[in-house]
Amino acid sequence: MRGAKNKKQKEQSHERKRVGLSYGELVWRRFTKSRLNLVCLIFVLFLFLLAVFAPFIANDKPFVIRIDGKLYFPLLRNLQPSDYCIFLAAVVVLWHAVGPPSCFRKKAGGLHRNTSGLGLSVAIVSVGAVLIFVFVPRRFDAVDYKEMVDSGKATGAIFAFIPYGYARTELASHRQPPSSRHWLGTDDVGADVLCRLIHGSRISLSIGFVAVGISVVIGILVGAILGYFGGWIDFIGMRFVEIMMAIPVFFLIITITAFFPRSFLNIMIIIGVTGWTSNARFIRAEFFKLRKQDFVQAAVSLGLPLRSILFRHILPNAVAPVLVNATFGISSAIFIEAALSFLGFGVAPPTPSWGQILSLGVSASGRFLWWLTLFPGLAIFFTVMAYNVVGEGLRDATDPRLSKAA
Amino acid sequence: MTTYIIRRVLLMIPTLLGITVVVFAISRFAPGEPVSFTGGIGGQIDTGQTDVTSARMKLYGLDKPIHIQYAQWLWRVVRLDFGDSIRHHRKVSELIKERLPVTLMLNVIAFLIIYAVSLPVGILAAVKHGRLFDRASSAVFLMLWSLPVMWVGQMLIGYFAGPTFKNWFPPAGLSSNYAEQLSFLPWLTDRLWHLVLPVLCLTYTGFAYLTKQVRASVLNNLQADYVRTARAKGLSEPAVIFKHVFRNSIIPLITIVATLLPAMLGGSVIIERIFSIPGMGLLAFEAITSRDYNVIMAVATIAGILNLAGLLLADIAYAVVDPRICFESTVEAL
Repeated sequence: MRGAKNKKQKEQSHERKRVGLSYGELVWRRFTKSRLNLVCLIFVLFLFLLAVFAPFIANDKPFVIRIDGKLYFPLLRNLQPSDYCIFLAAVVVLWHAVGPPSCFRKKAGGLHRNTSGLGLSVAIVSVGAVLIFVFVPRRFDAVDYKEMVDSGKATGAIFAFIPYGYARTELASHRQPPSSRHWLGTDDVGADVLCRLIHGSRISLSIGFVAVGISVVIGILVGAILGYFGGWIDFIGMRFVEIMMAIPVFFLIITITAFFPRSFLNIMIIIGVTGWTSNARFIRAEFFKLRKQDFVQAAVSLGLPLRSILFRHILPNAVAPVLVNATFGISSAIFIEAALSFLGFGVAPPTPSWGQILSLGVSASGRFLWWLTLFPGLAIFFTVMAYNVVGEGLRDATDPRLSKAA
Repeated sequence: MTTYIIRRVLLMIPTLLGITVVVFAISRFAPGEPVSFTGGIGGQIDTGQTDVTSARMKLYGLDKPIHIQYAQWLWRVVRLDFGDSIRHHRKVSELIKERLPVTLMLNVIAFLIIYAVSLPVGILAAVKHGRLFDRASSAVFLMLWSLPVMWVGQMLIGYFAGPTFKNWFPPAGLSSNYAEQLSFLPWLTDRLWHLVLPVLCLTYTGFAYLTKQVRASVLNNLQADYVRTARAKGLSEPAVIFKHVFRNSIIPLITIVATLLPAMLGGSVIIERIFSIPGMGLLAFEAITSRDYNVIMAVATIAGILNLAGLLLADIAYAVVDPRICFESTVEAL
């Protein structure tokens, strides 16, 4: 134990010696000290890629097919508006992650541009999504290309790696255990489980991110106002937060799903709207600490508008605990979505969802179908665990006081 | 002490009112008229503004302004009258009186087990800080924490309680069909036999959370000056740990009951559904699938009240255990 302490001290003095280390670099260094953190981060990135490229990995339409000597590209033609939305979001996220690195390195003003850039990207994604849904036509292609290839009508077809669609219904081959044709078996309507798992990752991740986005935005708005003003606004606001926290979240969520129509969007909103309280408390506590600091006084005396004081000056200094909390929020949102779908309150069946596949694991006659239980469960487990590990790592890395105590 | 408790209870009243407002608001702002659906399979859907609809609106008091509706509902709730269940054709309060003890029993057993496992593991992990046991236990519990409960439940039933693999445990219910004819001891073993799998599902997620808190709390105390003093005067290590550190680090853990409770109430919906245990969770689930509004509102309200009661108990226990807490100033701090 003493050896470990010495080592830690040595590391700390080492950290102190290098003056040029930015906060981000420091966090990254502490975060990558554990190999498990890195593995889980890579797994999270892998899930991203899987979700973004799902239609290219598992699809019943071929990339290329030659019919009567003419080349067709059915897979690309059949990409839905939602696919384009995901591509757009992925490009924006990528631009943010690798993008112009100078804006991250700059000492002064860097954070401002960073936060406004975030707002810009959210705007791009939402406007882009609306435009895509208005202008990109929804196609429905019922041609069975595999049958065409088999009967010799078409040649030179290149299929995706897993040549099944997630909405495939083929009752002749339903509830089959894993085989060489269907690696993870088929579900109750004959859809390939592996394909549904891959497409289900999109539902999980998008619900996780959008729900957490909603809860973070609400939490920041409420927490900033309560923490900055204090006094009776804070008193009344905190009573309201207390009320929201007093109702068990999962109970609240299933109560709301009982009254409102069940759709993908509603579930995201419900999970987001019920999960903001912890974010609000974190932000409120940070604002309490920061509002009396010199830089805030300076901003006030400069006559800056309230919006600017709250979100440009205080928020960048207060956002770290919420970002860490958001990581856990994603894992819990993914879990809640799976639980809702498992109970039958989630998205409607043709839409692939991990929880929905899991709920098929025990058939109506009481037969236990292990492949419909094991694989979706593993998918949920590994995803939730990866986010939890990344969250723990981030918390330890951003808050050295905590990591020393725990 | 008494004044502290009274003051604490009085402070709960606005929160309680708030919970009822939230529950009522959700049910009233939801799209669709409550009277347009009479419930049950094959229930009539009546969308037209017919005489029947308006008569029904009048019958249920839905023609009155919303705040009066709320006041009427609240007045009935205060008298513990939640109306009738559409699905069961019985009083909601009767149903809840039947179901609530089952859920409470499950949760209390789970709580005891969580504490019985987490306290020793957490203390040992803190004492062996940074060594193999510490790292292994935190890794195992982190894994357990991430296991989705519906998956674990279904796997346990599939592998240990079904005809497909092993048939060791009963897959559903609280006791066997013939349980009422048994004398006490066989009845108890039968009941415990049925409880093994559901309680296992309810407990394992709590292990990770509580162990981490115990470990952090003990570690914090191990660095305190009084520990050095205790060691310096020649106390044995077990005496230092159990007489000094343990007693001090247990205090913050009491409040954790309050944070565990809502998660477990939510979790019992899933677990009671998987294992077909007739508790509050299953009642809520069935009510939601059949849109039994009165039951849904009652369950949500009671879950909120239970949660508040847990918070209150934790606060009181905290004050009892730690005499250093000043009752006057805690109210200000709230």
